[in-house]
Formats: sequence, structure tokens, C-alpha cells
Amino acid sequence: MKNTYLITGIAIISILSVIALLAPWISPYDPAMIAQDSLLIPPSAKHWMGTDSLGRDLLSRIIYGCRISLIIGVIAVGIAVFLGVILGSLSGFYGRFMDTLIMRFADIMLCFPTFFLILAVVAFLEPSIINIMVIIGLTSWMGPARLIRSEILSLKEREFIQAEKAIGASSARIIMRHLIPNAIGPVLVNATLGIAGAILLETGLSFLGLGVQPPIPSWGNILIEAKSTLGIAWWITVFPGLAILVTILGFNFIAEGLKKIIG
Amino acid sequence: MLSYLIRRLLGIIPLLLGITIISFAIIHLAPGKPTQIEQAFNPKVSQEVRLRLEKLYGLDKPLHIQYINWLVKLGKFDFGRSFIDERPVAEKILERIPITLTINIFSLILVLLIAIPLGVKTAVKAGSAFDHALTILVFLLFAAPTFWLALLLMQLLSIQLGWLPISGLKSLDFEYFSFGKKILDLAHHLFLPILVSTLGGFAGLTRYIRSNMIDALKQPYIYTARAKGLSQEKVIYKHALRNAILPVVTIIGLSIPGLLGGSVIFESIFAIPGIGRLFYEAVMSRDYPLIMAEVVLGGVLTMLGNLIADIAYGYVDPRIKYKR
Amino acid sequence: MGNLLEIKNLKVEFHLDERVITAVDGAYLNIKENEVVVLAGESGSGKTITALSICKILPRNAHIVWGVINLAGREMLCLNENELIKIRGKDIAYIFQEPVSFLNPVYTIGEQIIEVIKLHQGKNKKEAYEETIDLLKKVRIWEAKRVFQSYPHQLSGGLNQRAFIAMSLACNPKLLIADEPTTSLDVTIEKEILDLLLELKNKLKFSLLFITHNLSIAQKIADRIFIMYKGRVVEEADSQELFKSAKHFHTQELLSAYERIGRI
Repeated sequence: MKNTYLITGIAIISILSVIALLAPWISPYDPAMIAQDSLLIPPSAKHWMGTDSLGRDLLSRIIYGCRISLIIGVIAVGIAVFLGVILGSLSGFYGRFMDTLIMRFADIMLCFPTFFLILAVVAFLEPSIINIMVIIGLTSWMGPARLIRSEILSLKEREFIQAEKAIGASSARIIMRHLIPNAIGPVLVNATLGIAGAILLETGLSFLGLGVQPPIPSWGNILIEAKSTLGIAWWITVFPGLAILVTILGFNFIAEGLKKIIG
Repeated sequence: MLSYLIRRLLGIIPLLLGITIISFAIIHLAPGKPTQIEQAFNPKVSQEVRLRLEKLYGLDKPLHIQYINWLVKLGKFDFGRSFIDERPVAEKILERIPITLTINIFSLILVLLIAIPLGVKTAVKAGSAFDHALTILVFLLFAAPTFWLALLLMQLLSIQLGWLPISGLKSLDFEYFSFGKKILDLAHHLFLPILVSTLGGFAGLTRYIRSNMIDALKQPYIYTARAKGLSQEKVIYKHALRNAILPVVTIIGLSIPGLLGGSVIFESIFAIPGIGRLFYEAVMSRDYPLIMAEVVLGGVLTMLGNLIADIAYGYVDPRIKYKR
Repeated sequence: MGNLLEIKNLKVEFHLDERVITAVDGAYLNIKENEVVVLAGESGSGKTITALSICKILPRNAHIVWGVINLAGREMLCLNENELIKIRGKDIAYIFQEPVSFLNPVYTIGEQIIEVIKLHQGKNKKEAYEETIDLLKKVRIWEAKRVFQSYPHQLSGGLNQRAFIAMSLACNPKLLIADEPTTSLDVTIEKEILDLLLELKNKLKFSLLFITHNLSIAQKIADRIFIMYKGRVVEEADSQELFKSAKHFHTQELLSAYERIGRI
């Protein structure tokens, strides 16, 4: 069975990862280099994606932006999955009071529009890359936690676990051994979609000026300038947006492909 | 039914407390007191701001006292006064709600009007070229940030073609227009925001209705409907659709947090004076009472959305009994 | 006496992703007026697909390759959809295995019966309502009004199946096709439903095509029996004859299984 979604998605994300890794070597210019003599130049042989109002090369900025977006997406989701696995396991293993406490907490967290919560926290803290990753992570652990918990609960019920318990293995060890192969699929789907979501959140925050701060280039903060150059420099609107579009498509394709494998 | 409602309403009390606790925790999230951060931002007003914050949240008192005092004030819908213009926060929020509501209701209606027939069509013709084309479109719309779509459409419709105003809600000479012209002017200004919001929403719902519909069309009762001699249209639109569409009621309730979050970016781009933009302005000017009020409001609205979705679903779907 | 329904050389295929499965391969069948014919065979032998082919209400990926299905002189496979929908529910009606999943969960029993009366008889709401209540009483549902207002999940399997029978007979069909109508029910309910079907058959004079894997039911109700095996009809006999001297090995297998159960 061919899985076009998965293959396309992995191809897209691999290429983007290589670009992000090799950013210093493949970007034609220094992304922060201001050039007074080349302001708002349309795409040309010298500047493939044109320049911005400070004369900086857009392609180089987008290449460096790729780094930022992927790092933020992956680390934010890493935090979320880490927290989710711990809280979900605690909830599933111990049940009762611990379970009620953690799941109620998850319910409450799910009551907040994530974007509101993040903006409010940003208003109190300084917006920085680290803060953004941590905040996104802290507000998106609920999905993985619920997945892990329900997986543990269903494992507890299964016969083969009961049988192994009778032989004398400790239940925690048995469950852990079976949990990983069973839970890894759904958690991976959730995480891939989560990375896409986190990148969208970051671009949105940066676009509002509350995310990644200049001079560090991010796709969101490049787009801030798109608004003031609307009608003057279409390339500033089009290219960063396309970069976001392709990245999100890549992760969504992977998630779709994984869903097909899990069935 | 009544006892179910009462139980559900009682069930929201712990959630409400949780929402307020987390919101309250945010004030104390920053290292040190909020007053100290304020100082770092703007040393000149720090003295005054500190006094105001201390008065508002009683920051010199023990934590639990602070929380309880704040909760009591919330209960009276007293959110304090804005740091910026000294007006009561509740008043500032209330006057911004209608416009946000209008845009969301219009775009919700449009989303339903587009997504339902498209979802049904693609389900009935699953695997056709039309289905594939729409799947691609859905994936693209999912992946495109709304604010980017907004920028592209502004570029095209407002600047290149000049059909629509770029942003804002009213023309400059709005006050002198006749009533009819005022409505037209508003519609003219709201067209683009509603369009963008619709584009952002219909992709997901189309996909959802498609998969529900495909599922419904495989159910045994569809054979019965066909065996009765009903036309293809009746089988699809009466027997399958009704089953496929019921869970949509829930989706509408659950979409509230996304809509609220989206409204922040959205209303900022189009310069629409709704609660999203108000929140953005509050964050930019660190108007803490306003920020806190909006966070609590967001939480409460989301929770109510969930609750209403649940109850409404039980109401429209005869299979759900009010037990549990 | 002529045949009401005659099926000859029917072949039906399923088109799956990468392969084609032949579900029915050269099946034949005939039913006279007011006759009870049982189509028996193990599950997967193509009984249901044969039955669904008669009105062309097959699953989407099933295709009739060839065959003849003649209903009272009309060639069913040559009719278009518009002509077929006038026959479905009116001349030919179906009853299925699990009434609760074959009834639409979001409409009341009453709504589902009225729908078919309005469709084929053009009656107004009030007439259709009265007729529905009459029908429900005819299938011995005493609390007709309550059942009328109930949703399928609120009723027992037996009650749902009675209501389903009422719905099927609403337009006095010439042929009733019952596909394992008692399989999901208790044994006592099964007997009641079978008795009801036979009684209604004698009263309303329709032909009954009864599909089952259970030969003891077949023996009780059938005038004639057709045995299907792997998509083909392998044996046709009067019901008495069959139990005396089965020819095909598969029929013998089925019979011996039946006898073993009978002895227990």
C-alpha cells in the first residue's frame, strides 16, 4: 500500500530540516545585513525573493526563519509531550484522586482559548523565543496526557496483562512495556499536528509583535512589514506566507499518513 | 431532563473556580510582583501603577485573601478600571462584544451554508475528481495562516481591484450617511473580515461533514431507505444527512476558543474594534485589569460553549438520554 | 401458474481497491404467487446479495455483471432508477436482520412508516397517520400510539421487527423479502414473528422470499427451498423432499449440522 501523504510530508519536512541546518552556508546573504542601496527590490537574479524596506535579502531571512519555526515547533511540542506523558501516566497508573485531580486540571486548561492564555502570559513576561516555546508547551500537554491515560486504562483491562501479572511481573513494568508500542502511534499523530499548531501560533504571535523579536528573523515578524508594504512589495507578503503554508502542509501530511497506518 | 440540567450546572462550579485560579495565577507568574515588572518597563509611572495594582489585587495581603477578594469582585462583575483611560473594564468589554459577535455569527452561517452541501457532495462522490480537488483545497486552507489569507485578499480585493476598503469599520463620513447607506457601508467594510473568517472555518467543517456522511451512507438504515423506494436525494438529504449533521451542533460549541483566539489577530489586521482587538491593545499597553478580565471571559465563554454544545446535542439526538 | 419472480444466471461482483470478488455467480431462483420460498445457505454464500439485486439496492461497490431478474413480466435489470423507485417499497418490500440498526435512529417509528405510505399512496397526513396506527395493530402491536411516537432505540428488538413488518406491508407488496428477520431475536420472539409473517401472508396474499442459514426455520415455513453455496444455487427442492434426500454434498453438510443440533 502506498502512502502518498506520508512520503510527501516526510520529503517536505526533510528538505526544510536540511535548509534549517545548513542556513549559514546556503543563505546567499547575512539575514541582518542592511543595505541602503537596495531597498524593496523585487525578486531578481541577485535577490531571488527580493529585499525588504531595510534592504535585507528576503530569501536569507526566510531561510533563517525556517530554523526558528522548526526549533520552536519541535521544542514546544517536546515539552508538551513530555508533560503529557508524565501527567497521563500518573493519572492512568494511580487512578482515583490523582486521576481526578489531573483530568480536572486538563479540563480547566482546555477551557481557555490557547491564544488568549499565551498573550496574557506574554504580557507579563518578556516575549522571547524561550518563553514562547515554554508557554506553548505548557498550554498544549492535555492532548498527549489524555491519550496516554486512556491507553494505560485500556491496557489495565486487557487479559494478557492480567495473565502476566499472575506470573508475577510488576504491573508498572508490564504496562510500560506494552504502553510504548500501543501509544506511540496516536501520540506521534498528536505531536505532528501539535508542531504544525505551534508553528502557526508562533507566526501569529510574531506577526502581532509579541513573539520572536527583531532583529531575529521569523516568518511571523517578516510578515509584520507586509502590512505596511501592501500594494508596494507583494513579495514580502507572498514568500513568508508560502513558507508557512508548505511547512504546515508537510506536518499535516505526515499526520494524515500516520493516521492511515494506525488505521 | 431538569435534574440533568441542574447536575450539569452544578458541574461547572469547579470549572469556574479552576478558571479563576489559573487566571489569578498568571498575575503571579512573573518573577517577583507584577508591580516590579511594571517598574522595569516604565520607571516613571511605576509608583502610581504599583499603588493601583496593590489596591486592585490587594497584593500586600496573603495569597488566599487576595484571591478571595478578587473572586468576590468578579462575582459582582467588578473587573476594576482600565489603567489606560480609567473607564470600568466591564463597560469597555461590553461595548466591543456586538461587533465581534456579528462577524462570527455571519461567518458561522456562511460556513454552514458552504460546508454542508460541499461535505455532502464530496461524500456522495467520494473518490471523484471533485472530491480530490476539494481535499487539496481543504489541506491548503488548513495550512494557510488566517492573517496571511487576510493580507493576500487585502492585496487583491482592496488594493489591486479597489473593490473593498482595506480596514476599519466605517467610512470617514459615516455620520452623514442615511440609515440605508450606513448599513451598506458597514457591510462593505465587514465583507473582507467575514470572508476571511469563513475561509478559515469552512475547510475543517467540510472535512468533518464529509467523513460523517460517508459513515452514515454505509449504515444499514440507508438500505431500508432505498428499499422503501425513496429517491436518491431523499435518501441522502433526509436519512443520511440528519444523522451526519447532528454532531455539528457540538462542533459549533467547541469552536468558541478558536474563534476568540482568532479574533485577536483578525481584528488587529482589519482594525475592527471588537473584543479581540481590545485584548491585543490591552496586552500591548499592559493594561492588566483588562487582560485579566478578558482571560476570565474567554475561559467562561469556552466553558459555556462546551456546556451548551453538550445539552444541545442531547436535545437534537434522540439516542442520547439525560442520564449519566 | 406462472412465476411472480424469476432470477436466472445472476452474477454479481464486488470491486475492491485492488481486486474483484465474485459474490454471486450464476444464481437462479423462482417464486410463484402466494408461495413461501426459502433461500438457505451459510453466511457469505451470496444470499443477501442475491436478494438486494432484485431491487438493485446493492452496496456501492457491487456490480451486477449479468443475469435476468423478471418480476411479473418486467425485466428489472433493464429498468432505470426512476422506474425502480416506483417498484421498491410498493411491489417489493424488504425486512432485514437487525431492526434497530435498519431503522433510522433519528426518526420515530411513526415518521418512518408514514413516509412510505405518503410516498406510494399519495395520502395526506391524517389518512397516513390513521393507516399507520391500523398497520401497527395489524402486526399485533397493542400500544400502537406509543410505538408510533417512539424512536427505535426505545423499543425491544421484537417490537422493532413488528413495526418494521408493518412498514414493509404498508403498500401491500406482491413480494416480501425477509433477510434473516429473526436471527437477532430471542427464540420465543422468533416463533411469534414467524407465525405473524405466515398469518399475514395468508391474509394479504403476498409471496415470501425468506433468507436464512437456519434449516429448521426453513423446514417449518418453506414451500420450496433453494440452497446457495459459494455464490451458486446448488440445490432446489420441495421442502419435504429436501429433508428426505439431499443431493448436493453441501446440503447434506447443512442437514447433518441441523440434525446434530436437533438431537441436542
